Amino acid sequence: MVIEVRNLLKRYGELVAIKGLSFEVKKGEIFGLLGPNGAGKTTTIRILMDILKPDEGEVKVLGRNPSEVKEKVGYLPEERGLYQGLGVLETLVYFAELKGVPSSIAKERAISFLEKVDLLDRAKGKVKELSKGMQQKLQFIASIIHDPEVVFLDEPFQGLDPVNVELIKGLITELRDQGKTVVLSSHQMNLVEALCDRILLINKGEAVLYGPIREIKKRFTPNTILVKSPQLPPTIKGVQSVAKKDDAFMLTLAEGVSPQSVIKALVEEGVELEAFEVAPVPLEDIFVKVVKEGKA
Amino acid sequence: MRFSKVWTIIKHEYITNVRRPGFIIMTAIVPALALIGLLVGAYGGGIFKGMAQSLADFFEGTSKRIGVVDGTGFFTPLLPEYENNFVLFGGEEEARKALEGEKLDAVLVIPSDYIETGKVKVITRGSGFEAVAFEDSEWFKGFLVSHLLRGKVEPAVSRRAADPVKVEPEVLGEKGKVQGGGPWGILFTFIIPYFLAFMLIMTIFVSSGYLLQGIAEEKENRVMEIIVSSVSPLELLVGKVVGLGAVGLTQVLVWILSALGFTGGAVLLLTISAFSLPPSTLVLLVIYYVLGFAIYAFLMAGIGSLGTTMRESQQLAGIFSMFAAAPYMLSGFLMANPNLTIARVLSFFPLTAPTMMLFRLPLAKVPWVDVAGSLVVLSLSLLGAIWLGEKLFRVGILIYGKRPSWKEIWLILRSS
Repeated sequence: MVIEVRNLLKRYGELVAIKGLSFEVKKGEIFGLLGPNGAGKTTTIRILMDILKPDEGEVKVLGRNPSEVKEKVGYLPEERGLYQGLGVLETLVYFAELKGVPSSIAKERAISFLEKVDLLDRAKGKVKELSKGMQQKLQFIASIIHDPEVVFLDEPFQGLDPVNVELIKGLITELRDQGKTVVLSSHQMNLVEALCDRILLINKGEAVLYGPIREIKKRFTPNTILVKSPQLPPTIKGVQSVAKKDDAFMLTLAEGVSPQSVIKALVEEGVELEAFEVAPVPLEDIFVKVVKEGKA
Repeated sequence: MRFSKVWTIIKHEYITNVRRPGFIIMTAIVPALALIGLLVGAYGGGIFKGMAQSLADFFEGTSKRIGVVDGTGFFTPLLPEYENNFVLFGGEEEARKALEGEKLDAVLVIPSDYIETGKVKVITRGSGFEAVAFEDSEWFKGFLVSHLLRGKVEPAVSRRAADPVKVEPEVLGEKGKVQGGGPWGILFTFIIPYFLAFMLIMTIFVSSGYLLQGIAEEKENRVMEIIVSSVSPLELLVGKVVGLGAVGLTQVLVWILSALGFTGGAVLLLTISAFSLPPSTLVLLVIYYVLGFAIYAFLMAGIGSLGTTMRESQQLAGIFSMFAAAPYMLSGFLMANPNLTIARVLSFFPLTAPTMMLFRLPLAKVPWVDVAGSLVVLSLSLLGAIWLGEKLFRVGILIYGKRPSWKEIWLILRSS
């Protein structure tokens, strides 16, 4: 395991921000750390980055105390910024040097990354001369320039246009392909869904959902299918009820009946099928439902 | 603590800050003003010299024409050396008319009972200020003494009575060794403590300004969190204190050297003065300077980091500047007696000890108890300042938006 968290507890005065949180992150996965505002995501990440100290519990990153592995970890915080008066290249070299990379190597890597994100022509300019989107990309590079083994990305897509979202998505999957571990925190559920292997959803400092994204979605998918057809027979084998929904029919299946067996039955009865869909539940709906209900 | 990280921060802080336009302008302003002063002085020297002479004459009266009504006989006739400025009149009325006709600047009426009472009447035009100025005029006193002693003592004695003393000071060091004579001796006694204490206070003011500005900026532009994900708050704090301390020292040194340079020869005096101190004192001075700066810087950075804006940080940290400057208020007493009880007491208080000892050490032989005691106090205080500064800094750098109350700070500190 790359990250191990056991019974983590963090208080701010009287407020208990994290209440006995436990989870693990495997090597080479993209792990989604999700939750509504104030749920405790940033506090958890700050503890994993050794910016805050836990009050109770055990935290290990790469098998060690977070303070011992700072150079192997990258961090893009949600509350972020850059030295506006500093040069673009100079900024990257400074952040890399702070992570223990010699300046000559840092310079080479910075140039290579700037080229990758189409900012090489701005290398000698000042940070303040960059647009907001360009600064976002620069911050992303700053978090991975030292070739970390684990990267924490807190809202990496915030304020990016669709083109740059795709660019950052590409860089994140590239990190996974290189065997790096990525912990991603984002409110853009479609992107989390597209990128993450597993997720942890926390609410009010407690874990409410944890596991592979596919299994979680399966758990929340209702046993219904959408069928587009001019007419359906009055009874269908394995179907409990039929309801009209817009220009289609919503079929609720009986317990243990698979969508495939219903399709087979419809085809056998000679029903003319225009479209057929197993209605998936978006992660966003699961998120809203779980947070509103308070538990999974 | 990893020193390679600290060194990276020191370099970054120093280089980025000395490149700032604000630093360059502020650093250049003192030499520029000194240069302007020098040029104005060179071109307008004659005018200023004339003005200065007029001012001196106003108080000394050396170019005045004064009518004398002598009721005693001591001033009749006038001594030749005073004939250019003084004119004898037979009566007060005649002298008053000459004054009204602007032939005289003042009339001096010396009554017959002058020897018994010492009272004279001075009549002037306009304000009475000029008449009062006569009382303190050495030149005027000389006029009276010379005439009173005429014929009674030798002329040389009379001249000495009129101008009795020219002090040539001499300062004795350890074992009766002469350290400096004449005006140099006086300068020697005063310049080192003033210079060192001034340097310390200025460095604290200037560097803390940059320190607070740096912290406030990094908090405002949110860079702080990225940095503390790479280095520990202590490494960041030490890097900032040393880097920005060097920035402040650079600025103060440029100011002092340029200002001294323009005054001509003063740098040489300072160097000679510094080297004529015993080496042990010099070493102690440097130790006090470093300890003093470090204690103030760590505490100010810690407290200042709790503010959410530059202004707030300055308000929070401002109280320390007052402590640093406090010994200056006692400088008059210290010059007379560097081992005053209050000076000794303040030498054991961590926030006043550095400036106090910088003042006392060059002035006299300070009891070894004071030196050892204050060094122990300062060393322990430095550890305390680093500990407290780091705690506050660790909490403060992640506070955005509203400044926490003292109660909240206490709770956070306790829980951290």
